[in-house]
Amino acid sequence: MNSDFKRSRRDFLSYILGFGFLGWLVSVLYPIFRYINPPKMPEAKVKSVKVGKIDDFKPGTGTIFKFGSKPGLLIRLETGEFRAFSAVCTHLDCTVQYRSDMKAIWCACHNGKYDLNGRNISGPPPRPLEAFRVVIKGDEIYITKEG
Amino acid sequence: MGVLGEKFFNWFDERYKIRSFIEFMSHKTVPWHRHSIWYYFGGVSLFLFIIQVVTGILLLLYYRVGEDSSYESVQFIVSKVKFGWLIRSIHSWSANLMILAVFIHMFSVYFTKAYRKPRELTWVTGFLLLIFSLTFGFSGYLLPWNELAFFATKVGTEIIGSIPVIGKELLRIVRGGEDVTGATLARFFGLHVAILPGIFTVILFLHLLFIQIQGMSEPPEWEKLPPEKRKYIPFFPNFLLRDLLLWLIILNILAILAVFFPWELGKKADPFAPAPAGIKPEWYFLFMYQTLKLLPAKVLFIEGEFFGLLIFTVAGILWMLVPFWDVKTDKGYRNRLINYIGLFVLIYMLTMTILGYVLD
Amino acid sequence: MKKFVILAIVLFTLTFALSQGKDGCYNCHKDAVGDKATELYPKDVHFKLGVSCADCHGGDKTSDDMEVAMSKGKGFIGIPKGDKIIDVCLKCHSNEMVMKKFGSNIDVNQFKLFKASVHGKSEIATCVTCHGVHNIKKVNDPTSPVYPTSEVRLCSKCHSDANYMKKFNPALPTDQFEKYKTSVHGQRILKGDTKVATCSDCHSAHDIFPANDPRSTVFASTLPKTCARCHSDANYMRDYKIPTDQYEKYAQSVHGKALLEKGDLSAPACNDCHGNHGAIPPGVKSISHVCGICHALNAEMFSRSPHAEVFEKRNIPQCEVCHGNHLIERPTDEMLGISTKSTCIKCHREGEKGFEVAKQMRDMIDTLVMRTNRAKAILDEAEFKGMDVSDARYDMNDVPQILIKARTVIHTANLDEFKETIAPGYEIIDRVTKAGLDAIDEYYFRRWGLGMSTLIITILVIALYFKIKQIERKK
Repeated sequence: MNSDFKRSRRDFLSYILGFGFLGWLVSVLYPIFRYINPPKMPEAKVKSVKVGKIDDFKPGTGTIFKFGSKPGLLIRLETGEFRAFSAVCTHLDCTVQYRSDMKAIWCACHNGKYDLNGRNISGPPPRPLEAFRVVIKGDEIYITKEG
Repeated sequence: MGVLGEKFFNWFDERYKIRSFIEFMSHKTVPWHRHSIWYYFGGVSLFLFIIQVVTGILLLLYYRVGEDSSYESVQFIVSKVKFGWLIRSIHSWSANLMILAVFIHMFSVYFTKAYRKPRELTWVTGFLLLIFSLTFGFSGYLLPWNELAFFATKVGTEIIGSIPVIGKELLRIVRGGEDVTGATLARFFGLHVAILPGIFTVILFLHLLFIQIQGMSEPPEWEKLPPEKRKYIPFFPNFLLRDLLLWLIILNILAILAVFFPWELGKKADPFAPAPAGIKPEWYFLFMYQTLKLLPAKVLFIEGEFFGLLIFTVAGILWMLVPFWDVKTDKGYRNRLINYIGLFVLIYMLTMTILGYVLD
Repeated sequence: MKKFVILAIVLFTLTFALSQGKDGCYNCHKDAVGDKATELYPKDVHFKLGVSCADCHGGDKTSDDMEVAMSKGKGFIGIPKGDKIIDVCLKCHSNEMVMKKFGSNIDVNQFKLFKASVHGKSEIATCVTCHGVHNIKKVNDPTSPVYPTSEVRLCSKCHSDANYMKKFNPALPTDQFEKYKTSVHGQRILKGDTKVATCSDCHSAHDIFPANDPRSTVFASTLPKTCARCHSDANYMRDYKIPTDQYEKYAQSVHGKALLEKGDLSAPACNDCHGNHGAIPPGVKSISHVCGICHALNAEMFSRSPHAEVFEKRNIPQCEVCHGNHLIERPTDEMLGISTKSTCIKCHREGEKGFEVAKQMRDMIDTLVMRTNRAKAILDEAEFKGMDVSDARYDMNDVPQILIKARTVIHTANLDEFKETIAPGYEIIDRVTKAGLDAIDEYYFRRWGLGMSTLIITILVIALYFKIKQIERKK
């Protein structure tokens, strides 16, 4: 009876040990497996950003994209050429937009206008928009800071 | 279950004659006495090294070396990768705990004179492992390319330049240039993930091989004790299970540290910014750094920094060779001088480390 | 003593008569030559002060002999041209001692100012171009060409002549006089009111600079003060029934602060809304056009709102009725809605459609602002706990832009368009709030996860401990 009791205690201990070990294994392997799985978003680059494929942007349109922590503006001209600028207006920091009807970049806050080279041509903006470099690798578009 | 195990064992034994090896290992014992607790620290060091390898490999999946990507990739790991914060903090904490464990292991071996014949080479390989561990720490510290690491590396490598004749050239080789730049980063990265692991593994293998062949060292007092009075416990499973217990607790401590004291990233390194006030190396280099700070600019005709470097090099070599100059006295093996020297070194290192934190 | 006085008087009179009579140039030219100069000169202020022809032209006025009187040796310079004219005037007019001798307070720095000014080249103008020659009058003499009522025509002689101006600055407009005639100042001056502004009152007389030169009195950030010289002087403006607090109000306004304190030259000064040469306050129906030069969207939206027609019918001054004219302050949400501080209730009563629209618009803006503040607090808390919320913060950047858009769209007074504009704001804020709450959850998850692992490890450790004991008991 004593040895039976001892045996059942022994079995119980092995049982706990076994389960405990399994639990421990899961608590170690679970984080490792989740870690190995890469996150959805690539890291937010501040020097160079991939904005998409060439076909995502129709000619004669402008798109706002994220560059570091500030907005940028990617324009595709009617000719198909790509141009990119900082979308922060040089007057009072509003976000500018592409206006295909004006064939210009426009700021809604105080009617400031920039030409398609980013140069301030009308209204309050005192300086041109900062220009970014557009690099096309294959069919992907990358934007980097000039220089 | 047992039958399957036996079938497995036989398959290997047929091909590789492992039976005699297994037999030999199953008889491994551990001397059991009041200083037995120090036997654990070798295993703890090994465990923490394994942790470093595993977390290091995981970090390698996302870390990208380069002035423009090192910092950003570490930031990515701690903020975007699932459990990245955990892996990174464990890697950083475990590095520090490993070096602490290695120091404790070394001093306990020293004071129990476990290095004496026939275990001289175990001590020498162990000392080399210490040096490599410190190098691991120094090279790894730079890899996040943050402000603290950049300046600590700058200050730390500067000292190499004080060596006469070869100093300047040596500095250029270590830094990959005149200053600490992306080239230094690349070099340290190669050192940390390829060169050092390779060498370390070989030396570690030798260290462990020597221990398995020779068994655990017995305390010097046991020489006077009759064999029946000496108590041993079997390594398998008793000591091993105790080891595992301790390792589990340490793993838990690492997790607690990672959650409640996450390792900081700080600001990205800017070589053009001035060094922040109170730059100092990590705690395990502090005693050397503080010594150099206290030395005068010139000692006799030698430049102060080089003199300090020289002293530490000579001291290190002497320490490494202690099994060869720890001479038996007439009265027996207890050479008090060794103890005093060891005590002095320990107290010196502790004092300098504390001063290093307080005096700045 | 008496004898001395008589002697003095006699000597003085003699000298005076002698000097008068002794102006040989004048006497000869009047009698023998009979030229225009001598015809005009008696009315000249210099003639009355005893300045002779030789004092400007050089030569010897005491000699009757022409050869002597007009000899180079005696300093005769003939008819000076270009810079030489200026040199002649300067001889006295830049010399303070000489001016004092004649009892004059005229500024002796005019030439310095003139030289630096835009007219400073002698091909463009010299002293005599504006002041005349031989018939120079005091400035406050109605017959002087620079008297206020005559000054405009004087300046126009060049400035309204496109062919002439082409030689110096082809891009400069030449319609200033035409515009001036339409202004309040122009109309009054034609009626003989010399108190109103003419060319030199704004542009200054000798130190005239181009309007884009910071030294000019009509430079963008200097211009309000220039106008204020008269328009803020309550005493000067006594007879005109208009307020004199415009500058004071303007300086406190958004535009004033931008121009005068921040130096933003794109901010409107008096002339941008009132016109400069054709200065007249914009009419009630043109206010939104004028404001719309910069605030294009607001003007466009207003013009298609129900307010446009109603305001026109009732002669309500468009933008001004809500925003003011000179004291235009940064608009706040308080102006919108149905509270006692709002502008909407100035016309709208409870139960009307306009009242309801105002109420809803304000409520929706308030809600978005409130939710934004809450989201910010949540992100701050997450960050404080050590979680990374930089992505959420970036997403939230769009919300101020949307709020600006919404606060602009209210000018349409169209509730549907407003709702459409502000809807994305709610979407973003909900997303950001969720991200922030997720980050905070992650923080607690980590602690919970640690707790779980610690529990498992503790169980394992205890089990191991007993196992060890068990094994050792057996041995």
